[in-house]
Amino acid sequence: MKQLIPALASVSLAVLTLFAPAMAADATEYQAALTEARQTLGDAESKVQLWSTSEILLEDAEKAAASGDFNLAVKLATEARLQGELAVATAEREKQIWQSHVPK
Amino acid sequence: MKKFLIACFLFVVTVNVYAKPEDDRLALREFFAQRFPDMDLNEMINGLYAFDEGAREQWLEMEDFPPYEIAVEEGEEAFNEPFANGKGYADCFENGGIGIKQNYPRFDEGSGEVITLEYAINQCRTDNGEEPLPWQTGELAAISAYMAFTSRGNKMSVVIPDDPRAISAYESGKEYYYTRRGQLEFACENCHMQSAGLQLRADRLSGMLGQATHWPVYRSKWGETGTLHKRFRECNSQVRAKPYEPQSRVYRELEYFLSYMSNDMEMNGPASRR
Repeated sequence: MKQLIPALASVSLAVLTLFAPAMAADATEYQAALTEARQTLGDAESKVQLWSTSEILLEDAEKAAASGDFNLAVKLATEARLQGELAVATAEREKQIWQSHVPK
Repeated sequence: MKKFLIACFLFVVTVNVYAKPEDDRLALREFFAQRFPDMDLNEMINGLYAFDEGAREQWLEMEDFPPYEIAVEEGEEAFNEPFANGKGYADCFENGGIGIKQNYPRFDEGSGEVITLEYAINQCRTDNGEEPLPWQTGELAAISAYMAFTSRGNKMSVVIPDDPRAISAYESGKEYYYTRRGQLEFACENCHMQSAGLQLRADRLSGMLGQATHWPVYRSKWGETGTLHKRFRECNSQVRAKPYEPQSRVYRELEYFLSYMSNDMEMNGPASRR
């Protein structure tokens, strides 16, 4: 049994190393999430539909990244992107129907 | 012949689809006439006080010593204070700036932009070598309050000239008003048409007609007199939409549309609101 312990430890380490990138975000992943979020929010803003909450999320993401918490930074940037996508969806839907609310 | 018929068809379609501002205004009045058949629509210049008798009585009592009075006095003093070059606000406006608020916003053919009264006040300053004033409260709001005071009793007379740029500005403002936005997905219309006169927490919601006649406003909530664009920003924030800068193109065009809808209604600014 004692002989198995180093072998088990080695296997565990290998498994951990293999899955580590998926568990902990890094600066590269954060930059990708940030770029995507900025593009989506830019799209929402160009359609006069940006939410008041989205840019705050991005600011918080930048602060988290600056403190080295890339997991939180990616989470916040992703949330900002999702908000931007919803805002764009509203813009596209409203473009089609707003006139129906105007009294005729 | 075929081309002629196509041109005729397109002309008829275009004419039918495009709703002129005056058609919009009359349709809006009809909307509120049907919604509130027993109410004099001209009362809507008083906002929520057109709907709520109890609140109206309190407001009328407050009008004995109106909280915007200080702003009017300060505005008059600032209005008459000459600039460093010896000129003054009166030199920038028709009729010396007295009794003209009903003509704003106006479309400026030179720049192709919508000019609100506050925008024109700051333009007057910068044209005369003065620094522009902050947009939402303070001296600018006070000068605007004074100019509004001198315009009381006049009828709102906003003009949309037959210029594609002016019509486009009007249409942009209209689209903004009727488009849902923000995390809560509310359009201006949802509160001020669909829900006009209904209770929202402790207050009733004002109707769209007359919404532009009484600015600037002393709001108890603000504790000071502020401009219409300050209120636009507040409305946007309340539905969690990103507010625009005061006097941004988006807000000036919104004000253009909103003011035209109040055409022919009595100017009664400045006013006080909760």
